[in-house]
Amino acid sequence: MTGNGHPDSGRTIIGCEQEFEKITRAIDRFGSGAPSHIAVVAEPMYGRTRIVNEIRRIYGDRVHYLSFESIISPSTLPDFSSIDSDIIVIDNCQFLATRRIGGFETLDLFLRRQITSKKLFITTWNAHSWHYLSAVMHLDAYFPTIVILPRMDTPLLKQVIMARHKPGEIRFSDQGTAERSMFFSLIHRSIRLPFMKKEITVPWLKLNFTVMLRKIPRKKRVQVSTEDVIFEKINRIAQGNPGVAILLWETSLNNNTLSLSAINEIPYTISLDPDESFILSIILSMESLHAKDLAAITGSEMDIERVLYRLVQQNLIEDHAGYYGILPFALGPVTDYLRKTRRLW
Amino acid sequence: MVGMADPLISNVTTEISTVTSGLPLKTIDANLVFYIISIIIIAYVLSYLLSFILIHVSERIGWYRTTVTMAIPLLKLIVYTVAFYYIIIAIIEPSLTQVVAFSGLFGAAIGFGLKDLFADIVGGIVIIFEKPYQIGDKVTVGDKYGEVKDIGIRSTRIQTPSDELVSLPNFTIFSLPVTSGNAGDLAMMIVIDLFIHPDSDAGKAMKILKESLVTSKYVIISKKYPCTVLLEDFPFYKRVRAKGYVNDLRLEFEFKSDVTRRAWAEFKAAGIQASLVCPAFDARE
Repeated sequence: MTGNGHPDSGRTIIGCEQEFEKITRAIDRFGSGAPSHIAVVAEPMYGRTRIVNEIRRIYGDRVHYLSFESIISPSTLPDFSSIDSDIIVIDNCQFLATRRIGGFETLDLFLRRQITSKKLFITTWNAHSWHYLSAVMHLDAYFPTIVILPRMDTPLLKQVIMARHKPGEIRFSDQGTAERSMFFSLIHRSIRLPFMKKEITVPWLKLNFTVMLRKIPRKKRVQVSTEDVIFEKINRIAQGNPGVAILLWETSLNNNTLSLSAINEIPYTISLDPDESFILSIILSMESLHAKDLAAITGSEMDIERVLYRLVQQNLIEDHAGYYGILPFALGPVTDYLRKTRRLW
Repeated sequence: MVGMADPLISNVTTEISTVTSGLPLKTIDANLVFYIISIIIIAYVLSYLLSFILIHVSERIGWYRTTVTMAIPLLKLIVYTVAFYYIIIAIIEPSLTQVVAFSGLFGAAIGFGLKDLFADIVGGIVIIFEKPYQIGDKVTVGDKYGEVKDIGIRSTRIQTPSDELVSLPNFTIFSLPVTSGNAGDLAMMIVIDLFIHPDSDAGKAMKILKESLVTSKYVIISKKYPCTVLLEDFPFYKRVRAKGYVNDLRLEFEFKSDVTRRAWAEFKAAGIQASLVCPAFDARE
């Protein structure tokens, strides 16, 4: 948990203007009667912190800021009545509940304190945890204002990324475009034939529908610039996740020059057993979790070390001093896989 | 009566011979036999290949597994009908009237001889269109329970929990009630009953069972798949019943066992005792 610190001011909220306006309207309404608590819900790296920082910048001293970094127990839950500020902003509220028997007590206590308080609570949640808790204990009923941060489409993403640089600072190189068509890209898929033991790779055409649509001849032919193709590729890999896109941008940028070939796509073929899928969905929902907390969730029945080893080996999660989180570039494939196998609903 | 029937039969046979003599029957030679056998083999291989491909596609597709497998019986029916048509026109080159007349007679003839086989085929067609169950469903037909593996033209194969492959003639859907646990969906409701001592804290037991249900790794919960925990009082025990959906019906027993095991461990810790009386119950009640 971290206490009141200086907000990272000056960060813009491009792409989330509507959502931010919804929050400010709710804050401005607050004053009389029961406060209309706010939940900001987003998938990992969608920019919850950006929104929180902006709230702290605008409302300054009225805000008391807290961020949960690990699982909170009823005894470590802060006492909100002693706080002077009238707005309490709490980041990472998914740490209030764990998916085990008796794991909802802290959240129950928190919600009781919240609804009896006269202060306005602005809470941020991991989207997967939020959906789970809404299904299990109707969490959404406690928050009259729910703001869900959307996935970004390419033009908006371009705006967000370019706002981080001075005009003309970035040079786009078309190196890498010549050898491949923009309509489709050649990828190598590994497939397993039923009568063969080992996997074989076959070349596979991946169609770029967005580029295709733009290329459809109209009255005036639309030219697709290298810049657009690059952003198209970044957003395709990031799957509309702004955090992942920015990270990809930063890792691909070389001396303020970006070429299409510099953007690396890591291919993922995920195949997991029920235990591994379960642990992966827990890590995805909590964003960062210590191995001992995971062991408490799974109980003695599961060999958690083996599962974690397997997930690290497949480049899906990483270990930060005992805390496990999903690797940024694996977020999209992992979410897709867990949705497909009905671990996320 | 016998005397009256005899002229009737002789009349019918004369009629049949006049109609069939009008049919341009081809001479049956080795080529024709080979052709017919090839058609049968091609139809068999094609229908096998289609179901093989579709089942593999469906296994990879995840959520919509049963939607893909739904098409298999229909495709098989089409393949076999087309094959049958080709065989018929290979033997005879009939006009429309002749086809109608011939199929009527053909139907009557085999109706007596191969009654059961054709009842099964008709049953198969009814299953395809009425869909009392689909490939991938968990069904109970009579006293057999299992996952539908294949719906053939003549029989339906279901795999029981103890991995036996049961062949049910398609005709059984006319005579026996068919229960589908999931009706084409991948999620299926599971009922879990725990019996506790009448003096134990039932409220606490319900809370624990609810939490062990919603935290299970096999559960799916949404508006479409709600979960609930109910209590019923019996003379010598209390029944705590959990109803929830398993995310993939193939994991129904794992789900049941996971919830039961964790709930009992927690019951023990919370001082909730098991019923001393063995409850006479029907699991499918």
